[in-house]
Amino acid sequence: MTPTSTPLQRALRQAPDRTLAAQARPELEFFCFRVGELRFGVPSENVTEVLRAGLLTPLPRTPSFIMGVTGHRGQVLPVVDLLRFLSKGEARIGPRTRIFVGVSGSFVSGVVADTVLGLRRVPVSDILPPPLGGDAAAEHLLGIVSGGGPHDGLNLLNFSKLLQTARQRAVVR
Amino acid sequence: MSNGVLDERSAEELGAVDILFFQIGDSEYGTDASQVLRIDRALPDDLTVRDLGLPHRGLRALVFDTPEGEGHLKVDAVNGVRSVALAVLRRMPAAAAAAPYAVGICLDEASRRPVLLIDLAETLKTQGRH
Repeated sequence: MTPTSTPLQRALRQAPDRTLAAQARPELEFFCFRVGELRFGVPSENVTEVLRAGLLTPLPRTPSFIMGVTGHRGQVLPVVDLLRFLSKGEARIGPRTRIFVGVSGSFVSGVVADTVLGLRRVPVSDILPPPLGGDAAAEHLLGIVSGGGPHDGLNLLNFSKLLQTARQRAVVR
Repeated sequence: MSNGVLDERSAEELGAVDILFFQIGDSEYGTDASQVLRIDRALPDDLTVRDLGLPHRGLRALVFDTPEGEGHLKVDAVNGVRSVALAVLRRMPAAAAAAPYAVGICLDEASRRPVLLIDLAETLKTQGRH
């Protein structure tokens, strides 16, 4: 007489090896922040840390999107105003302003953020392509994620391309 | 060999360099102290580098040597000369592509923020006068 299996044993035989939802809906992780009226996401692997915005040292004759430099862990960090870079206005440094340290290859830069929204996992299927015929900012987007309200959407930045372009614009002048 | 040269060598051997810190407007800058011949009263024709900011009063001038003669840079105040360890000096980040006279940054803890290091002779080339 063969022993009968218990309901739990039968269930475990049919159980998947990993979460089905994750298999079906791959996700990407983004570091999210707000600057001005815009919300952005940067792939989390491009962000190493977040600092309080201290006193910046302005540099003469640099492009307007470079707000200056700051010293961090013995390194001189150029600080980028994303709004100016994308021609979307101008960031302002206040007591609550933060700077996140972004890296791509050998390029390291600080970027001004009014508010840090945190890390957010975004299903790849929710990422919409950048708008066709959009402005110059669109070329630095990986895509967008729609939100409930007009200001709830998330602009996902191609940070590597952004840093590369920033460097080119600075050097070519 | 003058004492000045001996001092300079010993400073370099110790891994330090003398930086003269000065103020233009609200900004502090630094320059190689050995470039500065003297500190003088400013004259109306003395050099003002607009990119470094306009002096509040600009009553003093840093006098420095150039192949064409003396250069005079108008400043608001001279904050002093400090021997700064090479370990806290940094070259300009290439990505910043700043003006050629902006040669580096001093991350000395005695300063409230990173201090831009200026090559005085280069400021003249930028302005084309002294």
